Amino acid sequence: MIDWLTTTNHKKIGIMYIVSTLGFFVVAGILAALIRAQLAVPENTLIGSHLYNQIFTLHGTAMIFFVIAPFGIGLANFLVPLQIGAPDLAFPRLNATGFWLFLLGGLTVFSGLATYGGAASTGWTSYAPLSEIYQGTGVGQDLWFVGLLLASVSTILTVINFLVTIFLFRAPGMTMWRIPIFTWEIVATSVLVLMAFPPLAAVFAMVLIDRHLGGRFFDPAYGGNPILYQHLFWFFGHPEVYVMILPYFGIVAEIVSTFSRKPIFGYVGMVISAFAIAGLSLGVWAHHMFTTGAVSNPFFSAVSFLIAIPTGVKFVNWIGTMWKGSIELSTPMLFCIGFMLNFLIGGITGVIIASPPIDYAAHDTYFIVQHFHYTIGGGSLFALFAALYFWFPKIFGVRLDERLGKWNFALLFIGFNVTFIPMGFMGLEGMARRVYTYPPVAHLALLNGVASIGTAIMVVGAALFFLNVAIAARKRVPVGNNPWGGYSLEWLTASPPPEFNFDELPPIRSRLPAWDFAAAREASTL
Amino acid sequence: MRGDWAIFVIAGIAVGIFVYGNIFWCLIAYRRRTGREAADFSKNTPLELLYVALPFLIVLGLFALTFIVEMPIDRVSASPQNRVAIGSFRWSWRFAYAGTHIVTTGTPAAPPTLYLPVRRVTEIDLTSDDVNHSFWVPAFLFKRDAIPGMTNVFDVTPRRLGTFLGRCAQFCGLDHALMTFRVKVVPDAAYERYLASDGALVP
Repeated sequence: MIDWLTTTNHKKIGIMYIVSTLGFFVVAGILAALIRAQLAVPENTLIGSHLYNQIFTLHGTAMIFFVIAPFGIGLANFLVPLQIGAPDLAFPRLNATGFWLFLLGGLTVFSGLATYGGAASTGWTSYAPLSEIYQGTGVGQDLWFVGLLLASVSTILTVINFLVTIFLFRAPGMTMWRIPIFTWEIVATSVLVLMAFPPLAAVFAMVLIDRHLGGRFFDPAYGGNPILYQHLFWFFGHPEVYVMILPYFGIVAEIVSTFSRKPIFGYVGMVISAFAIAGLSLGVWAHHMFTTGAVSNPFFSAVSFLIAIPTGVKFVNWIGTMWKGSIELSTPMLFCIGFMLNFLIGGITGVIIASPPIDYAAHDTYFIVQHFHYTIGGGSLFALFAALYFWFPKIFGVRLDERLGKWNFALLFIGFNVTFIPMGFMGLEGMARRVYTYPPVAHLALLNGVASIGTAIMVVGAALFFLNVAIAARKRVPVGNNPWGGYSLEWLTASPPPEFNFDELPPIRSRLPAWDFAAAREASTL
Repeated sequence: MRGDWAIFVIAGIAVGIFVYGNIFWCLIAYRRRTGREAADFSKNTPLELLYVALPFLIVLGLFALTFIVEMPIDRVSASPQNRVAIGSFRWSWRFAYAGTHIVTTGTPAAPPTLYLPVRRVTEIDLTSDDVNHSFWVPAFLFKRDAIPGMTNVFDVTPRRLGTFLGRCAQFCGLDHALMTFRVKVVPDAAYERYLASDGALVP
């Protein structure tokens, strides 16, 4: 126990990140189930307005800040040193500081539930002036801002660590053009975090100054401006979307390559597109503000369209990797296929709402809810499960059951689509976001009912994962170094890896050191 | 606007079918079978460049379409035939008709009704008393945010007679879900009577 509390080892910190994010995932999932229970029928009285507002605020906050984004950070914590042949991250104590700040931040946000007036209830965007004056929330809203300030500082510290490690701590022979795509995506993600998170910390600090120290940043009566909040928030908020997807792009590339028995198609294009996405994502933020009448819609619309191009390159590379391969439909691979099928819908709906005249109708409706759940949920979350199944044997040295894993995938995939396909139509029929109740007009009752059934299926699917872990922990079937036939360096060391990762490293002469090693050993035994 | 939407949806479905087709082709044709090795195919620069150029052309077309469609929607007439000042507050609306004393103020329990003349350009001057709101009539396929400290000006020209549901689209706290209103689009004459009678003759 003390060992875990005081550790500075990147693998233990990585495991603590992953376990914490799964804990937050369970909480966020329960909150999502409550949302769908309330909306299952029109004019439901199960959950009141104030509680509902807290629930959707905490669901979004948890999934974005404490599940999807930090899981990528946590997995990178575990994997990056292994993939580049380093014994640890460059600054182990900084790394531990980052993790504990992250956990403290998450618990701070949720501790709002125990305060008078409840937790924050102004949505994950918490626009000022609402978040400065909303009656009913006092301390809970403050704890939300403070918790996210801690989490953003944690993220900034951790990505500095990643960059230094990747640039300076690579094993001999591991040139930058040989590091795995996942590690490359972490480089792009880290650069993006350094650009985008400081404005977030700034805007949250400004709200806290307004709330408690007589600030007037967002109060028009004193020359402040509510639009300023949106600019600063979305200057962080849109890059954050890519912080939540780039690591998962890398995960999918690695897994698809492994199970197609082929090197990644278009490695260089993959790297360039990651940085193109990161760069463009810094110039699209005001597409969240098309309806404010306060921004240049044509400019932000044009840049938003452009971002579809490097994202399309990713699809070309994943499909190119499968092309003429030898594809094994293992559980991690199935989750990657699910990722591609879902994420494509998220991408296409994204291009549709990048057109301001369409966004005038779709903005702040369930069409948007559908769109971003197809990217973050159907996309990132499916890749998250792919990563769990793929690297679980490496992290814990035991394998998860494949059959149960496939059920896990099938139920989650069906449940996800049954939940979110109806939401697009709800949006078109005029259902607004963030409403705790709706009138029984048009087909809203039917569509919401179907969506709630889908959520029930998803809950069962997700529960199977935890059942699978419990069974694996009981059976403890050990695996070898490389159960999937992976090509990157982490598959050459023991499962789980020893304290300093590698007892010895083979010569690294290509992007596929584990496959080179296997081929060389085969040649020497002949 | 509906034409714009249709073209985007058709383009989206076409791209979707193409990509899905490729994915499923791979899964069917390249499933692992004994006696067949994975081919050595990990780079093809002309193909990759083609797949940069094609989406570029698609989004260029979509952007041109967007630009053409958006300009008339965003344009505000210099000589509107009618003007209504709409105020928003937690959690209802206030409609004030220019040149009259009519001011309709609603509550969450009793949503107000906005009267608009059919096929005439009405300028809306939208403001907020407290936090961000958003004026949204789903049937008009349009919404615009109400932001404290600024007046958002836009035109609406309803094409059809009838009563439509409107609501606040921007989350604004406790009773956001109940911040609704009705829009009643009426013939010219009825609207003129409504204004001339200072709201006494409800259309």
